[in-house]
Amino acid sequence: MPTLSVDGIEYEVPEGRMLLQAIDDLGLLMNGVEIPHYCWHPKLSIDGSCRLCQVEIEGMPKLQIACNTPVTSGMKVHTKSERVQSARRGVLELLLINHPLDCPICDQAGECKLQDYAFEWGVTSARTREPRRPAKKSVDLGPTIVFDQERCILCRRCVRFCREVPKTGELGVFNRGDESLLELFPGSELDNPYSMNVADICPVGALTTRDFRFKVRVWFTDDVESVCNQCSRGCNVVASRSNNKIYRFVPRRNDAVNDTWMCDHGRMSYKKNANFRLAAPIVDGREATYTDAVKRAAELLRAACDGSGKIIGVASPFAANADLTAFRDLLARLGAGPARFSVPRGESDAILIEAEKAPNAAGCRTLGMLESGDQVGRAELAIVLGHTTTAEVFGDVKNIVLIDTHESALSVRATVSLPARTFLEKSGTFTNSRGHVQSFSAVVEPAFEAWSEADALAQIAAAAGIS
Amino acid sequence: MTPATRAKIEALFDRYPQKRGALLPAIYLLQEEKGFIDGDGARELAKLFELEPVEVWEVLSFYNMFYTEPQGRHHVYVCTNLPCSLRGARTLLAGLEAHLGVHGAGTTRDGRVTIGHEECLGSCGTAPMMRVDGQYHENLDLAAARRIVDELE
Amino acid sequence: MIVEPYVKNYLSEHYGDDAYRTLAGYEAAGGFAGLKKAVALAPEQVTEMVKASGLRGRGGAGFATGLKWSFMPKTSERTKVIVVNGDESEPGSFKDRLIMERGPLEVLEGILIGAWAMGAQRTFIYVRGEYRESIRALESAVKELYARKLLGKNILGKKGFEHDVVVHSGAGAYICGEETGLLESLEGKKGQPRKKPPFPAQHGAFGLPTTVNNIETFAHVPFILERGVEWFKGRGTDKSPGTTLFGVSGHVERPGLFELPLGTPLREVLGHAGGVRGGRRLKGVMPGGMSMPILPPTELEVPMAEEFLSQKGTHLGTGGVMVMDETVCMVRVATVVAYFFRDESCGQCTQCREGTAWVHKLCQKIEQGRGSAEDLALLDNVPSLMEGQTICAFADAAAWPIQGLLRHFRDDFEAHLREKKCPFPESFEL
Repeated sequence: MPTLSVDGIEYEVPEGRMLLQAIDDLGLLMNGVEIPHYCWHPKLSIDGSCRLCQVEIEGMPKLQIACNTPVTSGMKVHTKSERVQSARRGVLELLLINHPLDCPICDQAGECKLQDYAFEWGVTSARTREPRRPAKKSVDLGPTIVFDQERCILCRRCVRFCREVPKTGELGVFNRGDESLLELFPGSELDNPYSMNVADICPVGALTTRDFRFKVRVWFTDDVESVCNQCSRGCNVVASRSNNKIYRFVPRRNDAVNDTWMCDHGRMSYKKNANFRLAAPIVDGREATYTDAVKRAAELLRAACDGSGKIIGVASPFAANADLTAFRDLLARLGAGPARFSVPRGESDAILIEAEKAPNAAGCRTLGMLESGDQVGRAELAIVLGHTTTAEVFGDVKNIVLIDTHESALSVRATVSLPARTFLEKSGTFTNSRGHVQSFSAVVEPAFEAWSEADALAQIAAAAGIS
Repeated sequence: MTPATRAKIEALFDRYPQKRGALLPAIYLLQEEKGFIDGDGARELAKLFELEPVEVWEVLSFYNMFYTEPQGRHHVYVCTNLPCSLRGARTLLAGLEAHLGVHGAGTTRDGRVTIGHEECLGSCGTAPMMRVDGQYHENLDLAAARRIVDELE
Repeated sequence: MIVEPYVKNYLSEHYGDDAYRTLAGYEAAGGFAGLKKAVALAPEQVTEMVKASGLRGRGGAGFATGLKWSFMPKTSERTKVIVVNGDESEPGSFKDRLIMERGPLEVLEGILIGAWAMGAQRTFIYVRGEYRESIRALESAVKELYARKLLGKNILGKKGFEHDVVVHSGAGAYICGEETGLLESLEGKKGQPRKKPPFPAQHGAFGLPTTVNNIETFAHVPFILERGVEWFKGRGTDKSPGTTLFGVSGHVERPGLFELPLGTPLREVLGHAGGVRGGRRLKGVMPGGMSMPILPPTELEVPMAEEFLSQKGTHLGTGGVMVMDETVCMVRVATVVAYFFRDESCGQCTQCREGTAWVHKLCQKIEQGRGSAEDLALLDNVPSLMEGQTICAFADAAAWPIQGLLRHFRDDFEAHLREKKCPFPESFEL
């Protein structure tokens, strides 16, 4: 492979790869090799118009945009020379002459690339005295996105996103010259299953999600890596938390899984964490202590545990691999057959959304569990994780020990219900539809006592004297 | 869009290696029929060309010769670029505007004439000039320009 | 109504004759002799001839035509395309309009010679939408050529020599004169220039291998073929052979077109136009359309060819010569220039979109007597932020004339600051 030199350091990169892409492939872009950019995005077509990524290449008289310059063997690139710095200063100054300096009231502040780059490479004071271009403030583009047109720097990432990813093409840039404006087709709205990604890729505060806007300043949040659990794609996310509360999901780049995107449904699913939780143990329809609940579950287990097939295990494709493994092992010790499970299904598309509406069906299958959650037979005792198998299925089953995160008809029907931690309250892994085992970390602590399924199972087993 | 316009547009497709090449000519044809292109017109064109309506709107908004708003029955454009300005084009335009009772670019109250200025139209050797409904009138003075405008129905 | 040139040469010799626009009249005047000679040669020989002639593109950039033709892939299964740039929109330029209206068959013969040389099967002639007469003249000539089988299949009985021509109307956007902006527009899109790579020779109109040449460039080609390389090199300068149609406008007695050899001294060009009107003194001349920096009256001896003009800090451009007499306020000129580029910027590159507007606001402010020394300092600097950093040369074209005006007429700007109004009461109105 040809050698590319950037600021005197040599790298091996494939010939013909665009310079910025090649540096991104090496994981070095803005992470060792600082080439600021606006219009370029690793998962969108090249636009080449913001001109911020200009670099100096030996042998070329003019500065070149790194996003659209193919690497050639022996190419020597300089990203820190005075010419490059001066070009960057120029672009940033020109972008700022019409940009409102309203950072204190802009919700993008703290994660705004115009703010960041202007601090790092820009001018310290404005030379322009001209009035700024008038444009719209705070317009609803659709159900999810709010648009501050005056802040738009016309990088056209959102335009390309809508054309290239969901292929819905709602946005365009109208007019020309300094009258250019990002707009929707008159009378239409931005409404597609991936609409909120435009807020992520907007480098400034022009496109923000109605959901997150003004909820919390980003410098009061910290980001925890997690995985979306709304379908078997398992889009990688970061969850922003503050004061033990989750404020949003944003997609985290994983080229093998979700590129840099996620669907709006998955993005909004963080809200499900707090609502309708199973917040206390229930025994025979009444709230109980953990001690009593574990004791009652252990008694049921002991009574049914005679190897005659009276026990059935029903797993959940929402459970993490460690919990599923603990479940499988316990069932084996009890002499029960492999756990059953069922997967909720729904619409899918050719982008990210998978038909299996759970994050870990593949984990269940890998552990030898049977996808026949609706056939529980005539068991005396069902040990159940989650409620993907509905209450009706358990028609004749005498007793149910349920470990679950949320309230459901099943938690009402169960003999014993124990609260469980959601995936956002513990660390673990899910296996996605393509077999990627993906880890997630605890984002928040539950507001009440709750255990992981594995811990709950271990407590019950110990109380039942099953080692 | 009338079936006749539609047929004319479809007949253009073969002139280009890709259908979209016929978009500008198609806009002209629809504009000829309707005077200007509104949202519905853009949607019809988008459907015909298998584009998103916003892509048609982008094109409409980019070019001076396409209109997305109602226009006067006649267009009068005076070139005010440098070679024409050097030869009195701006005085001519101001005189015509006063004559028509329109201040700045706009349309007369009776909807007869839309007047405005344009950038260089390639008549620098015969300046000043104006373009009336697509037709060039060159080597003008205000009297001649007024006569031409007055003759418009 | 377009007048014929006041000074004629080979290109415009018959432009006064209406019949020259018809095939019969054109042939009677010797038309198609060049094409006949071309098809007797191997295609590569034709390209070599054009190369040897030293013909430079007449669209503004002055690139060597033969060399450009040689970029077209020799072996390609794909249809090869010629695109003719008839989007003449450079303020001060009106020669292509004359050629299209009075000599459309020269252009078409040149295209056919190019098609033979490059193995191109299709031509799109992109004419600015306002040039309705030009479009009519070309379309009527194309129709005649099809009728006489000079377009279509087996042209001049040459098996496999086929060519189709479409005349395409633009819709009012200066930037479509930039070759890749033109290609975008031809494809039915906004005329926003393309980033390079890819280059048109590999990926041009509709993704096909494409060569783009200006109207006038093609019009010269038949004469080169017919009369020979040496004949062509016998006029003009060593580096810029042939004639061009200088368009002289502004404050001269007799504005119009003058077909003169490249390298004719500026003073002589102005002389043909009758000199400055009313015996007034000359203040400045933009020699190559509005994109090119102005020359002061001290530079009248400069030969009008790129190699000489570039030494004077300006360019031949399209040969549109704009003349300004002593009454002219150069800040007004700057304001008109800046407004034009602000209005016509396609808006994609940051420097151009934002810079053209800023420059215009600064010019306007100074012109109206509201400017400060700070504003003038900005006007000195902002154009440099735009230069050489964008997708196409438009931003350069917007920066250069402003820099030229500041270089040669700084006094005018400073007088506005001092007097807080325009000190040129007789200047053209703004």
